[in-house]
Amino acid sequence: MIEFIDARWADILFRSYQHSSLVIQSLLLATVIAVALAVLVTSCRRLTPVANAVSAVGLTIPSFALLGLLLPIVGIGTVPSVIVVSFYAALPVLRNAVVGLQGVEASLIESARGQGMSGAAVLWRVRLPLAWPVIMTGIRVSAQMAMGVAAIAAYALGPGLGTYIFTGLTQVGGANALNYALVGTLGIIILALILDALLVLLSRFTTSKGIRA
Amino acid sequence: MRQLLSRTAGLSREDKGLLCGLPIFVLTVLAGWVVWRLTADLDSIEARLITAGNITQMTWDHVQIVVVSSVLVVGLAVPLGTLLTRPALRFFSPPVMAVANAGQAAPVIGVLVLLALIIGFGFGTAVLALSLYAFLPVLANTITGMRGVDQAVVEAARGMGMSSWQVLLRVELPMALPVIMTGVRTSLVLLVGAGAFATFIDAGGLGTLIQTGIIMFRYPILVSGAIFVALLALMVEWVGRILELFLKPKGLA
Repeated sequence: MIEFIDARWADILFRSYQHSSLVIQSLLLATVIAVALAVLVTSCRRLTPVANAVSAVGLTIPSFALLGLLLPIVGIGTVPSVIVVSFYAALPVLRNAVVGLQGVEASLIESARGQGMSGAAVLWRVRLPLAWPVIMTGIRVSAQMAMGVAAIAAYALGPGLGTYIFTGLTQVGGANALNYALVGTLGIIILALILDALLVLLSRFTTSKGIRA
Repeated sequence: MRQLLSRTAGLSREDKGLLCGLPIFVLTVLAGWVVWRLTADLDSIEARLITAGNITQMTWDHVQIVVVSSVLVVGLAVPLGTLLTRPALRFFSPPVMAVANAGQAAPVIGVLVLLALIIGFGFGTAVLALSLYAFLPVLANTITGMRGVDQAVVEAARGMGMSSWQVLLRVELPMALPVIMTGVRTSLVLLVGAGAFATFIDAGGLGTLIQTGIIMFRYPILVSGAIFVALLALMVEWVGRILELFLKPKGLA
């Protein structure tokens, strides 16, 4: 095992980098889309149940099935991986952003308007900062899920540590099969834990001072 | 039917919409697929693989894997979670929760492949791997649910002369049930999705169609598999929601 890691250290690091890069970029994309959608949805009250239903139903669609549905449309490679990972990452963020934005007290929004803030200023300086801790919780849930989904995306020749798991599977009976699968799985767990810790820190530093616990 | 309607009274519009919408959506997609299958121009391999008999068989395999794993998970995780919230063992629950949360970071495909490499391919391994994967959400929700029971209610029950067993069975478990059931429903849906990977370790299921479709580069097979896995997951989600409605104790709003 140690020999195995030693011999492939550079490759393992490179794949870990690819894996995290895929997850983090998809997570960023997903957060921007989800928060924008949530802002849209909470300003039009009728759409809120629709958004919640979409995120509930979306999460039930198995990732392997979505990957299968996307392959004929976008082909093999990085693009389906990014789309699938972003899709799953967007749903928890969407749900939490809706909850967070709805949780902002109406009296606070009114007093902000009363101070002469425009609608956009209220959104940027009052509603989003107050909803941010809830949104960050959603991002943490998404990050953990995205790590696992990215492993599956490797089956469609996407980058990352998932390829190690599938290499282990195809080399069954071979000397290194177990090592490959073990390094792939443990690597993803370690990356997920590191990313989660980083997100906790990020959440602490980006939460507005007034509502920091 | 009337009982069902009376039970939906307290639900939000979103939940009601899902209860009616899910089966309609599933039936519509299914009907669309049948029309496609009857009219599409398929080559011989596709026509041989995508048959009603074949798909029924794979769905049945898939359902078996999911049902056996979920029975195992519920049968073990709920009692263990309950045990961990008893006064004598309560101090164990924070570390167990920490491990459960960290363990959820493990990718299911990794767990499945690792177990298959260690103990061999097949149905049993798939069930074991999926159970390990779905175990943590149910355990975590059981502990959360039991902890959320108002201690004043427990004390009141004790004051009425109930034994600790009676308190557990007639007060604590019923009150924690909604949270536990949410965990069970989440796990069931996760299991359907994860069951699609069973094909990688020769345990069958609907994932076989997806994998075959990718390997042989035949999109009709691949997409049919994906559609059926997704429909199965949506149906399971719906059944879970119905169960949740019926199991919720009447006294809880």
